[in-house]
Amino acid sequence: MTAVAYSPHHEPPASRPSQPLTSAGWIRVLWTTPLFFALGMGLVALIRWLAGWDPVLDREVILTVELVAVPLGFLVGLGGFDYWAYYASGRPTRAENHSGHGAHSWRDYFRVNTDHKVIGVQYVVTTIFFFCVGGLLAMLFRAELAEPGTQYFNPQTFNVLISDHAALMIFLFIIPAFAGLGNYVIPLMIGAADMAFPRLNALSFWLLPIAGIMLIVGMTWPGGGPSAGWTAYAPLSSHQPDGQIFFHMAVQWAGASSIMTALNFLVTIITMRAPGMTFWRLPLLVWANFTTSLLVVIATPFIAGSQFFVLFDRVMHTSFFEVDGGGYVLGYQHIFWFYSHPAVYIMMLPGFGIISEVIAVMSRKPVFGYRLMALSLMAILVLGFSVWAHHMFVAGMASWLRVPMMVTSMVIAVPTGIKIFSWLATMWNGRIHLTTPMLFVLGFLSMFVIGGLSGIYLASVPIDIAASDTYFIVAHIHYVLFGGSVFTIFAGIYYWFPKMTGRMYNESLGKLHFWLTFVGFNLTFFPMHYIGLQGMPRRVADYADRFADINLFISIASFGLGASTVIFLYNMVYSWAHGPLAGANPWRSLTLEWQVSSPPPIFNFDEVPTVVGGPYEYGVPGARHAIFGAGAREPVPADHA
Amino acid sequence: MRRGSLVQLIVLGLIAGAITGAVAWWIPWLPESAGEEADRIDFVFWFVTVIAVAVFATVVAVLVYSVVKFRAKPDDLSDGPPTHGHTGLEIWWTAIPTVLVTAISIVSAIVLAQNSRAGNALEIKVVAQQFAWQFTYPNGQTYGSLRIPNGRPTRLDITAKDVLHSFWVPQLGQKQDAVPGQHNRIVITPNRTGIFPVICTELCGLGHAIMRSQVQVMEPAAYRRWVRSGGKPAGNEDPGLAVFNGQGCNGCHTFTAAASGAQIGPNLDQLQDEAKGAAKPLEAFIRESILNPDAYIEPSYQAGVMPSFEGRIPAKDLDALVQYLAENAKS
Repeated sequence: MTAVAYSPHHEPPASRPSQPLTSAGWIRVLWTTPLFFALGMGLVALIRWLAGWDPVLDREVILTVELVAVPLGFLVGLGGFDYWAYYASGRPTRAENHSGHGAHSWRDYFRVNTDHKVIGVQYVVTTIFFFCVGGLLAMLFRAELAEPGTQYFNPQTFNVLISDHAALMIFLFIIPAFAGLGNYVIPLMIGAADMAFPRLNALSFWLLPIAGIMLIVGMTWPGGGPSAGWTAYAPLSSHQPDGQIFFHMAVQWAGASSIMTALNFLVTIITMRAPGMTFWRLPLLVWANFTTSLLVVIATPFIAGSQFFVLFDRVMHTSFFEVDGGGYVLGYQHIFWFYSHPAVYIMMLPGFGIISEVIAVMSRKPVFGYRLMALSLMAILVLGFSVWAHHMFVAGMASWLRVPMMVTSMVIAVPTGIKIFSWLATMWNGRIHLTTPMLFVLGFLSMFVIGGLSGIYLASVPIDIAASDTYFIVAHIHYVLFGGSVFTIFAGIYYWFPKMTGRMYNESLGKLHFWLTFVGFNLTFFPMHYIGLQGMPRRVADYADRFADINLFISIASFGLGASTVIFLYNMVYSWAHGPLAGANPWRSLTLEWQVSSPPPIFNFDEVPTVVGGPYEYGVPGARHAIFGAGAREPVPADHA
Repeated sequence: MRRGSLVQLIVLGLIAGAITGAVAWWIPWLPESAGEEADRIDFVFWFVTVIAVAVFATVVAVLVYSVVKFRAKPDDLSDGPPTHGHTGLEIWWTAIPTVLVTAISIVSAIVLAQNSRAGNALEIKVVAQQFAWQFTYPNGQTYGSLRIPNGRPTRLDITAKDVLHSFWVPQLGQKQDAVPGQHNRIVITPNRTGIFPVICTELCGLGHAIMRSQVQVMEPAAYRRWVRSGGKPAGNEDPGLAVFNGQGCNGCHTFTAAASGAQIGPNLDQLQDEAKGAAKPLEAFIRESILNPDAYIEPSYQAGVMPSFEGRIPAKDLDALVQYLAENAKS
C-alpha cells in the first residue's frame, strides 16, 4: 500500500466526470441496458433465422437470453467492468486513485464502490430491504392461511408467494447478509486495508440487487411467477409458467455473487493478515467465514448446475430430469441438496462466528475452548458434505443409503453441541452485560437448541418418514434459520452498528425489538411442530378444518412478528442519523476492528498493527491482542493462546 | 464450583425439565396410531423426546443460571476470570452427545428395518397424477380410494405419471414419494379399522392442497366380501361419476352433480356455455377438452395447466365420463 499521497481520512470526492453519457454511472446505464437488450434479441433472432427454426422469436429462449444480457448491460453501464475493459483492450488503465473509496453522501452507495466498508453497508442495507419484502410475502400467505378455503389468493399466486418468500430469505437475505457483515468486519479484524480484490468485491455486490429484482419481477410476470417452491423440484419446475425462468436465473446471479465473495474472503484471509496474526490468533468470526467460504466455493457450483439443467430441460428440450427422454428425476434432488445442505451451514457458520465475538465481549471472558471451537467449524464443513440425502429419505433413492446418511447427520450434532456447550461455559462466571446484541445471542442459544433437537428427530429415518414434507419441517427450518441465523444477523447488526455508523442505536428500542421478535417467533413457529405431526402438509393453500383455529393463531402471531421489524427499522434509520456518537470502542472489545475510529479511516489502519496474542484475552493481566505504531516491530512472541 | 450453586443449578434443571416434559407429555403431538409401523415410529419419537427434553433442560438451566448469577452491574467494568478451556469438560461434552446420537441411530436403524419388512403382503399398485390417486388391486380393479384389510401387511408399489407426489397417511406413519419413471415400495400394516386421509405431501402444482383421497381399513371378513362382490363402488354409482372421481377431475373442477367444489379449473356446471364459446357440439367439446385441454382455453384460465388424458383413460371410461358430464351439466 503506497497511497501516501492521499489522506487516510475521508476527503471530498474526485471531481465529477465531465462526460456523463460515457462515464460509469446511472446515466450510462440508461443506454447500455437497452443496447444489451437489443443485442440479446438480435442474437436470438439471427441464430434462429439462420438455422431456420420456427418461431424466430421464441418467448422462452428470449427470456433466458435477456435475463443474462440485460443485467450485463446494467453492470457495464454502472462501471462494473471498466478497469478490466481498459486493460483487455490495451488502453492505459487508470491508476487506482482510490476515489472510489469511502462514502461522502448517500449517492456514493449507489456507485460501483471498491471500499469494503461501503460494500459492507451496501450489502447489509440491500439484504434488509429484501428481508422486508420476503417478510411481507410471508404475511400475505399467512393471511390466506388464517382460515381454510380460498380467501385472497388462488393456488397459483399462493405457490408464487411461498416460493419467493423462501428464495428471497435464503438467497437475498441470510447468505448475503452474512457476506455483508463479513465484508465490513473481516479486513478490519485481520488488520488489512481492504479486501484482496476490491473490484471483484464491488462487482459481487452489484450482482445481488439484480438477483433480487429478478425474483420480484418474475413474481408479477404475465402468465405466472415461479411457483415450484424454493427447491424447484424437477419435473414440476420445468413445466411452470414463464416466471420460473426468472427463478432459475436469479439463483445463478445470486450464486455467482456468493462464489465471488467467498473467493475474495479466502484470498484476503490467507494473504492479508497483519504481522503476527497467525491462524490460531484469528477471531472466530474470521475462522467461521473462512470455513463458510470453503463451503461456498465447493458447493455453490452444484446448485448452478441443477438450475441450468432444469432450465435446459425446459428451453432446449434436453432430458436431464424428464423420464420420457431417459432422464433421472431424483438426479435433480441429489445435485440440488449436494449444495443446499451445505448451504444450511453457509447460513449458520458465520452466525456461529458472530455469537463467539459477542458472547466473549459481553461476558468479559475468553471464548471457552477456542481451538476446539475452530476445529468444530472444520468438522462441520467436512461432515456437511456427507449428509445431503437426509432430505431424500422418502424420495425413493437407494434405500441402503438411508442409514449411513442418518449416522452422518446425527454425528453433526456433536461438533454443534461442542459449540453450544463452549458458549455456555464462556458465560459461566463471566460479567454478563445484557445489551441488545447479547439478548439476541441468548435468544439464539435457546432457539437454536430447539432447532438442533428437532433436527435430530428428522435425522432419524423412521421419524423423518412421518414428519417429512409437513409443517414439522417448516417449524424446524424456521427454528434453525430464524431462531438461528436471523437472530445472529440481528446480534451482528446491533453489535457492529456503532462501528459502521459511528453512532449508537437506541438500547431500549433494541431490547423491545428483541422481546417482540422472540415472543412473536415462538408463537408463530412452535405450534407448527404440532400441526405438522398431526397431518398438515407444507405448501398447501388450503387445509383440513380441524387446523383452522391453530392456523388463525399462527397467522396473528406472524403479523406481530412482522410488526416487530418496524421497531428495528425505525431504530436503525433514526440512530444512523441522530444517535449519540459511539466512540471507537463502546463495547471495550479487544479485537482489531474496535481499535480504530468509528467509522474507521478510509484505509482502516493509519499504522499497520502487529498482533501479539489471542483475540479474547479478557481478564488476562497485561495481555494484548495487537500493538500499533513503529515500536510495534518487536519480535513476535510465541503464540500463547 | 460451590455446593450451593450446584444445588441451585440442579433445581433449575429439574424445573426446566419438568416444564419441557409437561409440554411434551400433555400436548397430543402424534396422531392416534392405526398401524404397526406407526407404533414403532411413535416409540422412536418418544425415545428421542426423552433425550431432547434432558438436553434442552440442561442448556436452559445453565443459561438462566448464568444470566441471573453472573449478570454485571451497569458500572461494573471488570473482566471475568480468564478461563481458556478445560480439556476434561470438553471430552465429556464430546463423548456424551456421541453416545446419545449413536443410541438414537441404532434404535432408528432397527425400526427402519422392521418397518420395511412384509410377509404375505397384499400388493397394491398406486399411481399418482395431478391431482388424484389411483389404486389398482391384484384383480385388476382400479379405484380412487384405498380399502385394505386390518391386521395384514399391505405393500404399496408407488409411481407417478407426471410430477412428484407423495403418499402419506398420518395415522399409518409411512410416507413415500411417487416418482415418475420409478416404483417405490412401502409397507403398511394397519391394526385398527377406520377411515383415514391420504394426503399428498410433495408440492405438485395448483391442486396440491386438494390432492386427497382416503384409506378405509376394514375387518378382514368385510374386506373379503367387498373383493368377492367384484369390488364395486358402494351404491348404484354412475360409472361416469366413478371415473370423474377416480381420474381426479374433482380435484380441480366444480361439478354440482358430483358434489365437487374445487376451483382450480373452469366450472363444469357451465359446460354448455363453454361449448358455445368454443363453437363445438357439447359431447365433442368435452371429449376434446379431456384429451387435448389446450385446444380451447376458457377466458381467464391458462394453457398448460391441465394435463392431457390421452392414453391415461381407457376408452370405455372416457365414454362413460363424457356421457356423465354431458347429461349432468346444468343447462
